[in-house]
Amino acid sequence: MHFEIFHLTRFEYSNSVTESVMELRMQPLTNENQHCTSFSLQLSPSARIFEFVDQFGNIVQHFDIPEKHSKLEITTKSFVEVNEPQKLPESLPLESWKQLDEEIEKGDFWEFLLPSQFAHPTQPLTDLQKELNATREKDPLTLLREINSFFKANFEYAPETTEVDSPIDVAIKQRSGVCQDFANIMIALVRGLKIPCRYVSGYLFHRTNDRSHIAQDATHAWVEAYLPTLGWVGFDPTNDLIVGDRHISVAVGRDYTDVPPTRGVFKGNVESQLSVAVRVRQAETDEIESSELHAIRRKGFTVTMKPKIQEAAQQQ
Amino acid sequence: MEKDYGDITSVIYDEMYGKSDEPLAHYRAVSETISNMPHEELLQRQQAADLSFLHQGITFTVYGREEGTEKIFPYDLIPRIITGDEWNTIERGLKQRITALNHFLHDIYHEGKILNDGIVPHELVFTCKYYRREMRGVDVPKGIYISVVGTDLVRISDGSFAVLEDNLRVPSGVSYMLANRQVMKRVFPRLFGNYGVRPIENYGQQLLTTLRALAPREDREPNIVLLTPGVFNSAYFEHTFLARQMGIELVEGRDLLVHDNVVYMRTTAGLRRVDVIYRRLDDDFIDPLAFRPDSQLGVPGLFNAYRSGNVALANAIGTGIADDKALYAYVPKIIKYYLDEEPILQNIQTYLLDDDSNRKYVLENLDKLVVKAVGESGGYGMLIGPHSTREEQAKFKDLINENPRNYIAQPTLALSTAPCLIENEITSRHVDLRPYILYGDEISIVAGGLTRVALKKGSLVVNSSQGGGSKDTWVL
Repeated sequence: MHFEIFHLTRFEYSNSVTESVMELRMQPLTNENQHCTSFSLQLSPSARIFEFVDQFGNIVQHFDIPEKHSKLEITTKSFVEVNEPQKLPESLPLESWKQLDEEIEKGDFWEFLLPSQFAHPTQPLTDLQKELNATREKDPLTLLREINSFFKANFEYAPETTEVDSPIDVAIKQRSGVCQDFANIMIALVRGLKIPCRYVSGYLFHRTNDRSHIAQDATHAWVEAYLPTLGWVGFDPTNDLIVGDRHISVAVGRDYTDVPPTRGVFKGNVESQLSVAVRVRQAETDEIESSELHAIRRKGFTVTMKPKIQEAAQQQ
Repeated sequence: MEKDYGDITSVIYDEMYGKSDEPLAHYRAVSETISNMPHEELLQRQQAADLSFLHQGITFTVYGREEGTEKIFPYDLIPRIITGDEWNTIERGLKQRITALNHFLHDIYHEGKILNDGIVPHELVFTCKYYRREMRGVDVPKGIYISVVGTDLVRISDGSFAVLEDNLRVPSGVSYMLANRQVMKRVFPRLFGNYGVRPIENYGQQLLTTLRALAPREDREPNIVLLTPGVFNSAYFEHTFLARQMGIELVEGRDLLVHDNVVYMRTTAGLRRVDVIYRRLDDDFIDPLAFRPDSQLGVPGLFNAYRSGNVALANAIGTGIADDKALYAYVPKIIKYYLDEEPILQNIQTYLLDDDSNRKYVLENLDKLVVKAVGESGGYGMLIGPHSTREEQAKFKDLINENPRNYIAQPTLALSTAPCLIENEITSRHVDLRPYILYGDEISIVAGGLTRVALKKGSLVVNSSQGGGSKDTWVL
């Protein structure tokens, strides 16, 4: 499928700030599953844009705005062609565990096997593991399907119940959260089984006929797990979906820490408000999927004239 | 001087006596001068030396103490002497080691051949808190990761030198080496003048040459700055001292900014481009955008400017992985792997504690071994078995069981001793040696180093932060 994605991010500061320095991970990936045919980025105030590819293969743009400003607007427009994904078998043979262990031994999967900032073992996670009874007794694909289905059945999708930097324990204990939380938890569970697993940030295109409770949010996060003979397979625990041609990948990493859409520092003692609007449209049919420009969250800044970090909370 | 200073046992090598009862040939003149000097005069000279340090404001900060944290670094009057032959071995050994470690750093941040060939375990690298995954694929100027190194050497009972620690991040202490020499020349001018001691005074110039060699642009004189965390850092004195010696600006993070991927220094005449940064600030704090977001000491965007080759850093980001104390155990293999040579300087036997049989042995012998946290330096996070209480041992047992990867154990070393003037008596104390290695267009090592002294009787901890002192080091 072909998609056109429009993404507006706006920071409004209660007073002027200076020396904003920002990194963006917003350009859809080009890989074996999808092709980003064009990407444009506009900034207001304008700035010179630089680009590099990070250690996970994500395309990162960065810029700085030295002069006074009280608003920063980032607008991106992308065209992406997503392939029909491979047909997954219902399950894999049990021997695939052995094959997986051998591939891990040889390949470079370390980053996606070791604990990371959000996806690391905790007591609540261990309890969850027991509840799920996720052990290597079943084949890896069946197990992943079960874990993937667990969230929709047992967790409530509830925006604003977690923060962008909440540890996974918060969502596990209250049994609610957003896609970012579910992805981080699933990664920790899957790595606990010694299956390489990574975080994907991106967009989900909702067909009008299956609008769900997350319909107004097109920015999304899910996971990919590595399986023998199949390679990286995408699982969307928020929607209990196997990732298909409606998922558009933007960046991959160990967990959310590696892939925030915006990461920035500025000077100023101000309050900052972030608003985001995203529209994903199927390019051939003109079908429109959009969300109103809405305030995501407020974050207070109390430190005088010292740089402070702001991370765009693309909560869903 | 007679060899009669207390607690020397036969396994310990003494810098002045070796294992004999007579001073070694190269120490004889020093021994005679001090023996023939009236005790009063010796004390007067020690006082003159102390006063000189006080007046120069040569101090350091001890963390974790409540009372005034600025201290004078205690100076011992009696020099530590190393023969030319001994020095040649040290020099060759260090060059070999630094060359291999630099290859290692390039490799793990690029193809990772040594990991894929199974020489060094992947896990050891990826679990190290000093491993900087952001450096993967980044090319550093001239391929040099470690431009300034301060390797800790100890002399063991057979009289040979062994490496105790590779300090590849921001090693300090070189200002004390230089200050000790200045004071020595003033206190014992004639003795020093007649000894044929190799000079060390050109260290500042050599450091500047090394930094210049890293400059990304060759078409103009590079602007080089020294980046300090600020006055509260334990080595702030050294930062000011070195900046002055080299005639470069001493800056803090807030004095720099990055615009359009280029680093600038704020000056009264506007912004001035910076080409090379000798940073005395840890990786974690250097750029809040790339690393610790709460750092207020760093420069936002610096890492991206560095990544694109617009500014050079000494040392590179991510060098700490190569002086992780668990990785240390692999350095002989690292030398063999990249250079196909046998190590010239020995390693100290090291037990890695994520190995079950090692851990069992170590936990049963905590009273005999030294345990170190892998990521700590400055003598913090250490257990010296023979000098520890049962409670301390029990605490380390828990710590090790909790996180075995975080600790290593080594046998308690019979560090060499040297005569020192302590509380008006000449008596022996354990010493080590930290030579300073510079790696620019070539590797150069100033002939000498900082000899650190464990001032407490019998103590094996020489770190200044743990109450150590120092001596002038003479290389003949």
